[in-house]
Amino acid sequence: MLIDTPLVLAVRALEVLFALSLTIQTLEYLRMGPATADTGLWSWSLQRTDIPHASWCRLLDVLFAPDMHRLNLCLRLAAAVWLAVYGSSLGLVVGLFVSNVLVLIRWRGAFNGGSDFLTLVVLTGLLIAQGVGVFGDVALGWQAGLWYITIQAITSYFMSGWVKIMRPEWRSGAAMTIFLNAAIYGPLGPRHALRNRGLALLGAWAFIVWECCAPLALVSPELATAFCAVAGVFHFLVFWFFGLNRFFWAWLASFPAILWCATQLQ
Amino acid sequence: MTEVLFATYFVVLLATLVFKTPIVKGPWLFLLRAFFPNWKFFHAVGHVPQLFARASTPDDSGAPIWSDWALIYPRRVRRWHHLLHNPDTNLGLAQQNLVDHLWADLYDLPEGADPRGLVTYAMVSRLAHQFLSELHPDMRQYQFELRMVLCDRNEVIDTQVMMTAPEVSC
Repeated sequence: MLIDTPLVLAVRALEVLFALSLTIQTLEYLRMGPATADTGLWSWSLQRTDIPHASWCRLLDVLFAPDMHRLNLCLRLAAAVWLAVYGSSLGLVVGLFVSNVLVLIRWRGAFNGGSDFLTLVVLTGLLIAQGVGVFGDVALGWQAGLWYITIQAITSYFMSGWVKIMRPEWRSGAAMTIFLNAAIYGPLGPRHALRNRGLALLGAWAFIVWECCAPLALVSPELATAFCAVAGVFHFLVFWFFGLNRFFWAWLASFPAILWCATQLQ
Repeated sequence: MTEVLFATYFVVLLATLVFKTPIVKGPWLFLLRAFFPNWKFFHAVGHVPQLFARASTPDDSGAPIWSDWALIYPRRVRRWHHLLHNPDTNLGLAQQNLVDHLWADLYDLPEGADPRGLVTYAMVSRLAHQFLSELHPDMRQYQFELRMVLCDRNEVIDTQVMMTAPEVSC
């Protein structure tokens, strides 16, 4: 089955942005060699007792030996570049998926929380697309993959908004100031605008309402575009205050899927 | 039909926030938790775990002197290029997540159990050792403490000690 142009564009944009996100993550992991060495904080010799079965432990001892871990990261980097240049294939996506799961286990399940989760979501979407595509219907595979990524991405905003709205500290605006003070680039300066109660209240509610209304992004392509634009600003601010650069790129990679899906509900 | 399915899905999600279900735990579930994201970011405000540590160094006569407790908390200077490459900040964030995980492990530990068998305990102990070694190169012993700290908009308003580790010789 032939794939129409908007779908091709969405797929290529997704692949390129996701490859960029993976590249940024992998280059950072490669710089963290001293932290994962035997004398480092994240030494495998300390972490291996997390593994419940001896046979798995022995296998992971081999896979997480420093040279093997570095090899995994180098292959992952090469696969990300391949993905950006040539696009995805079943073998490439399966390889990236396995590599990603290994990296997650090496960091006790998650290195950077949410960005790890969304990276896995996009990889799973790519796996769905390629898996269905193997049985002949390439377009159906991509549709399923993009919808999976979209639903998970929209869910992430929706849940994040509603858990905040249920907390009195967020409803009063206090939580925003408290989190910003505890941030890695914090605390806020004594005269910072977000120490102003009114501004903190306004900022908190603006983001809560926007996150809670995330499913409305799928109502029209125009709303989806506006939603993604605000999301881009939101993730940049999260980076700016909390240092979470990986969140910015991980969620950016999901935007082509959201934009394409919004055109399908017309 | 699609719209109805969507609406139902999001209503079910909201219901999961209201109706609490038992939490399933296990070592593999922990290691593979990225497959089950809960998407709850920055939601809980209250007492948060903070790591404090102190070192013992010898004075002129060789008698041990303990330093004051020092807070081990990651702070970094923001740079524009961090948007593209930020390994040190991300390691700092992972370090604080580790302290959070130690708190969670201690919370789940049966009454009277020894926390020294926990992976998180061993890692946090190494973190304290690394931090103090830089401040006190002639350190002979060290000790760390996990405190639960409550802040309001401007300052710390309550601190409770959750665990004080035994003194460890270097």
